[in-house]
Amino acid sequence: MSFREKSAWISLLSMAGIYGVYFWSFRHAGPQARGFHFGGLLGTISALVVVQILLTVGVAIFAPTEANAPRDERDKLIELRAMRVAYAALSTSVAFACFFGGFIPPLVFNANSLLFILVAAEIMRSTCQIVQYRRGA
Amino acid sequence: MGTIRNEIRRLRFEHGEMTQQQLAEKIHVTRQTVNAIELGKYSPSLEAAFRIAAVFGKPLEGVFHYSHDE
Repeated sequence: MSFREKSAWISLLSMAGIYGVYFWSFRHAGPQARGFHFGGLLGTISALVVVQILLTVGVAIFAPTEANAPRDERDKLIELRAMRVAYAALSTSVAFACFFGGFIPPLVFNANSLLFILVAAEIMRSTCQIVQYRRGA
Repeated sequence: MGTIRNEIRRLRFEHGEMTQQQLAEKIHVTRQTVNAIELGKYSPSLEAAFRIAAVFGKPLEGVFHYSHDE
């Protein structure tokens, strides 16, 4: 497994795990605790950054040459394809959120909804990268 | 659609059993990319293809073959 693929795995697992906890706690919070909490989000982002740095450094220690090498043309192509898929998912999701958020009252169109869409798009980007690396493309 | 085949695996062994890693270092890509090219899963850029051909001292058509599927 290449360093870039390991990085994609780190990104996928850390985002799914850490934002998963954030959204789970939001979902299970009482009605008075619901809403957009800047402190909670700041803690989540800080945890994500720390976990990703630690895991990436850990992986780089075992493959220093590969970690220091710049991305090659295949890495760039895989990244571009993954970005295209994620952007399509992001724009479609935002359009749906705007539409349904405006017409169906129970679905609250707020910052957490947008954050969820952004995280989902990022997870899709990492997943798409991993699938392409696994296929060898 | 056409298919691009290559002789990289054979050429590596004819050049002192060169490893994928050694070839990768010479053409500035990762070993995984060389493997993907060898297996025909990834078509390299024209520049990378020329670099591979130069490593083996062959013209481009001596390394890569294009067959057009009807």
